[in-house]
Amino acid sequence: MSTDLLNTLVTGAIWRAEQLEEQGIGSAPLAWAEVSSLEERLAIAIPASQPEGRIARRGAVRAALKARDSARAQALTERYLAEKNTTPTLRTTLRQLLEEDARSLADRFRHAAKVVDEARVLALWLHEGGAFGLAA
Amino acid sequence: METLAFYSYKGGVGRSLLLANAARFLASLGKGVVALDFDFEAPGLHYKLGHAPQGERRLSGGAVPYLVATARDSTSPPPLEEHMIEIPVPPGTSGWLRLMPAGPAPDRAYWAALKQLGEAVRFDDPSGQGLMPLLDLYGRIRDELKPDYLLIDARTGVTELGGIATTILADTVVCIFVANQESLDGTLMVAEALKSAPRLKGQRPIRVVPVLTRMTSQLPSEGPLAEGVKRLLDLGARAPGKKESKLFELPHDALVGVADRITGMPSVVFSPLFRSYVELFRELVPASEQQAMEAWNHLYQDVSRMN
Repeated sequence: MSTDLLNTLVTGAIWRAEQLEEQGIGSAPLAWAEVSSLEERLAIAIPASQPEGRIARRGAVRAALKARDSARAQALTERYLAEKNTTPTLRTTLRQLLEEDARSLADRFRHAAKVVDEARVLALWLHEGGAFGLAA
Repeated sequence: METLAFYSYKGGVGRSLLLANAARFLASLGKGVVALDFDFEAPGLHYKLGHAPQGERRLSGGAVPYLVATARDSTSPPPLEEHMIEIPVPPGTSGWLRLMPAGPAPDRAYWAALKQLGEAVRFDDPSGQGLMPLLDLYGRIRDELKPDYLLIDARTGVTELGGIATTILADTVVCIFVANQESLDGTLMVAEALKSAPRLKGQRPIRVVPVLTRMTSQLPSEGPLAEGVKRLLDLGARAPGKKESKLFELPHDALVGVADRITGMPSVVFSPLFRSYVELFRELVPASEQQAMEAWNHLYQDVSRMN
């Protein structure tokens, strides 16, 4: 798939996700997951040394967080941080995205703020394994 | 705060009634107690604790309306008191008991709130957005009310909320079952899962306390049922100083079944079920026999006065 086509698709997907989010429609996270997937493809096609490649990497992580998939956001960040040509600015931006997301969750739920990271691990366990982890 | 979750794989085993009586017993023992009804699809702990809707008396708050309000604006959650009921404790005891019902069930408003909650929050959301409101509620109860004990009705079956209440929130899970293969097999499966569930840092491994209810005759000494019970006991926690885990057996009592709560009737208070309750509660909460009997006397005098 050409990067032009990917860019067109990602633009449309972002517009759709934003509209769903604005209207408070429950499927907005799914739309953001699609955005993240398209941005990830762009990031594969364009190296981080190019501005468009950096935008795609940032977009893939940001959209994963909006899709409420912090595990994916974490995995993408680790992958991009490990790339040789990732710029210091991009490294900082990616780390900030994850930190801001965790901080926002901690701010919203002050009485559980200390366990945000652990809660995410448990939530992922619950999501993948179902109740009591029985479906794992 | 020690958290006890009351879980049963199948319904109709007396789980909520056991929790309600444990809560009243602990309060009579001088403890601060919060009872939390997480049986959202069939809530009834308020009935068991003497708050059935009657005449003009209706509930308004509860866990479901609280979580809906939190989902709307978690930065300024509503006061816990708006969603709790103060349950009277026997005069002369220093304990207290507060109930957070699931909500104003069976009013239609409750089911509308439950639908809203389902649309706003997915408890298994992998980002933690669904789990955090529950951990926050747990933390608020611990930090603001400072109870000695939190008792959670973890409902029946295999559900996300029941899983969270038992694997993530509880220190002890009281696993209640009846003497048939279906009930026992399901309980075993869940008890095994509890033992391997991940925990928050600093939490102890889950203690499983098996309780066999509605007993009408002795358990067979051999066969699948006996073997299943033995496996369940192997999974059961070893109480400090004890080598063997113990199966608590609560005999069937038709009077309690009809009343759906402990009443002041002497035939109930001095029934084998009553004595079994005391034995179980002393396992859950360290108390001397004398302290336990004094607590029951307080409770007995109180229910006699109310009846």
